[in-house]
Amino acid sequence: MTTATLETPSQAKPAKQKVILCEGNEAAALGVALARPDMVAVYPITPQSSLVEHVAKLIADGRMDADIVDAEGEHSVLSVLQGAALAGGRTYTATCGPGLAFMFEPYFRTSGMRLPIVMSIVTRDGITPQSVWGGHQDAMTVREVGWVQLYCETVQEVLDTTVMAFKIAEHHDVMLPVNVCLDGNYLSYGTSRVELPGQAEVDAFMGVKDVNWHVALDPLRPMAVDPLTGGSGGKGPSTFVRYRKGQCRGMQNSLRVIEEIHEEWAQRFGRRFAPLVEEYRLDGADYAIMTLGSMTGAAKDAIDEARDAGKRIGLIKLKTFSPFPVEALLKSLKNVQALGVVDRSVGFRWNCGPMYQETMGALYRLGRHIPSMSFIGGLAGADITVGHFHRVIEATEKLMTGPAPTEPVWLNEKD
Amino acid sequence: MGRSYNTIAFDAAKCDGCGDCMTACATAKVGVGDTARSRIQVVGSADDGFELALCRQCGDPKCVTVCPAGALTKDGTSGVIDWSAAKCVDCLLCTVGCAYAGIALDAGTGHVAKCDTCAGAPACVPACPHDALTYITTSRIYNEVGDWEDLFAPGLAGCQGCNTELLMRHTLRRVGPDTVLATPPGCVPGMGSVGFNGTTGTKVPVFHPLLTNTAAMLAGIKRQYKRVGREVTALAIAGDGGASDVGFQSLSGAAERNEQILFMVVDNEGYMNTGMQRSSCTPYGAWTSTTPIGEGSRGIPSQGKTQDAKNLPLIMVNHRCEYVATASTAYMEDLYDKLDKAIQASKVGFAYLHVYSPCTTGWRFPTDQNMEVARKAVETNFVMLWEYTPGEGLRFTRPVDDPLPVTEYLKAMGRFRHLSPDQISHIQGKVVENLAFVKQMVHRASV
Repeated sequence: MTTATLETPSQAKPAKQKVILCEGNEAAALGVALARPDMVAVYPITPQSSLVEHVAKLIADGRMDADIVDAEGEHSVLSVLQGAALAGGRTYTATCGPGLAFMFEPYFRTSGMRLPIVMSIVTRDGITPQSVWGGHQDAMTVREVGWVQLYCETVQEVLDTTVMAFKIAEHHDVMLPVNVCLDGNYLSYGTSRVELPGQAEVDAFMGVKDVNWHVALDPLRPMAVDPLTGGSGGKGPSTFVRYRKGQCRGMQNSLRVIEEIHEEWAQRFGRRFAPLVEEYRLDGADYAIMTLGSMTGAAKDAIDEARDAGKRIGLIKLKTFSPFPVEALLKSLKNVQALGVVDRSVGFRWNCGPMYQETMGALYRLGRHIPSMSFIGGLAGADITVGHFHRVIEATEKLMTGPAPTEPVWLNEKD
Repeated sequence: MGRSYNTIAFDAAKCDGCGDCMTACATAKVGVGDTARSRIQVVGSADDGFELALCRQCGDPKCVTVCPAGALTKDGTSGVIDWSAAKCVDCLLCTVGCAYAGIALDAGTGHVAKCDTCAGAPACVPACPHDALTYITTSRIYNEVGDWEDLFAPGLAGCQGCNTELLMRHTLRRVGPDTVLATPPGCVPGMGSVGFNGTTGTKVPVFHPLLTNTAAMLAGIKRQYKRVGREVTALAIAGDGGASDVGFQSLSGAAERNEQILFMVVDNEGYMNTGMQRSSCTPYGAWTSTTPIGEGSRGIPSQGKTQDAKNLPLIMVNHRCEYVATASTAYMEDLYDKLDKAIQASKVGFAYLHVYSPCTTGWRFPTDQNMEVARKAVETNFVMLWEYTPGEGLRFTRPVDDPLPVTEYLKAMGRFRHLSPDQISHIQGKVVENLAFVKQMVHRASV
């Protein structure tokens, strides 16, 4: 890990932080306030609504100095922020599910224009079947569009990651929009103890805002933003490739930057989150399960119980899903002999979970076959319990000796 | 740059030779209604109509050139050619030099006499009972903005005969360099406003919004500059399709929030840049590439668009915008007045300007007929020019009380060539209905 560019924290020990009790949506709002955006644009949607309500109240109470735009829909929400970012503003919004689907047109464009907009996705399952409950289907559906996507496990991680997201997005080697994904229902409304960093300490962490140095709509430095390019003649093809390649480079750079900024956060605030891939009781494990988001809490309990029962099982959790942290994941899989991957969404094309599918792609580079299987659970607000994870552990253990099923296991099918 | 001057224009088609203009002139100039002494003379033309013997106040006046006494001079401010009684030797060479018979002997004085435009208020013009005479004052536009920087480099790639380049250059000159310009997909960026592969001729910051989010992106830009205390005009030059169809939600939302934006719609009544497809602003009966003419099926022929156009500017009035107006490039002074008002209004709220833009390519008319088509649209009341503010309500800026039949407009274009008598009658009926509807709004606004 590169730490050469890190500032030396002003104090050896993190300052004492105020302890509060709040839900994940409020924690996200508090994180936003600490990052001091210039503009927030909002449109309500379940289960995101209380998040933007908290933001609106923080602004109304004078605890946050930002312009708030109650736009007429998510499409305009992100478009307003694009305009503000091009004029130099730090910007934020949150959405989920159908709102994210409606937002897709400007969503695709945000990463292409390299605008460091931060947006929480309070993850929600896709419709139809009609549902207003949590699931990763929304965020997974847009995973291939060039946004950095970070999944949180706890309410505290939601708050801390929301602040860090701005710094990751605005890093000159990245300049990409960032989604902070928090599980609808389980994290959005889950209430827990949270340590609240001080504003002065966060200000020192954030440094100088520099949002539109690379692309601007500013009469003081006029330029044509996003001219027509591409086609098969002249400078078109090479120009288009240069843009696209730059996006991919920014995504790859973000892997390093995410690590650096998590390390700096740990030094300044005393809380250390695995930036890309977390290993839990993986030492000495023969086989492992993979998780994402809030389900990991129950998974860790199940792993503890299985370990106590003598099973050589460990856990790998992804925090950074986009870009996919291939090298970090392969390092964690180095000694794993069998793998069960638990997804909270569906990959329709491959008849498995999306994280499973992506992991299969990474495994090709490992140069060795690992028997594996896909588990799909927690759709549309369903709980993935410790009991479910014991089933996952048992099925994964069987892969060590038996054949791997080609069908995914639907964890809540008989709940 | 040079200077432009006002002039008296004559529409021979409207003149019946009554001579009221001559009576008015003689009365104003010599105090008696003796038409022989008028400086404007209506004379018979070769085609059995009428033409004018009148001083054109030429830019290169031959009367001045031939005068041996220095008695004729062109006034650099008014453009009028002045005659000096003190210097004139009554040689009458000037009357021979003029090709327009614009200077002639006045038997009553024994000297030559010529039009002096009555110091900018020519008596002949209001005297004409048929509106055949017009005093054209658009020179003030040129004189005011002619020296201002054109904020587009030469070479915008519009279709030949299109009025949109004119509109873009005039608008940007007026709005000035402290502007961010949004040109959503359509003819305006198709002409190269945002450029290709990194080159652009636009001298203000310019971008393609999506077709759908122009007003929302501009709102974000404007608000951010306002937050940091900078005065920047957020300007859209958008097509009718994006504004009235797929981009309507963001337009309506921004208007409802009264965002400080100047939103100009260039209405060419369809998706002309993509190949002349139908939009909700396309009028009833019009051919477009998605409302083509054919035999149809089940005995119902395909005869162009089967619905009437959406009236987007009236919808914007119902948002109670800070300013809403319709305009036409055939009436530049009217357009300029509205542009100035819209710019001012956009400093406090949402300003919407709807400019009709005849499309030579998509509407099927010769490339030199753009302004004539635009004019006929107004003269038939197919298009009405009005403005609205919340305080003063709606008012016509150029009412047409004696409109031409709508066929005078329709026949100018190939897109209406196929119309049946029933379709024409439908369109004429809608013109009457639309006029009555807008008039009702005028009435309501003034109550």
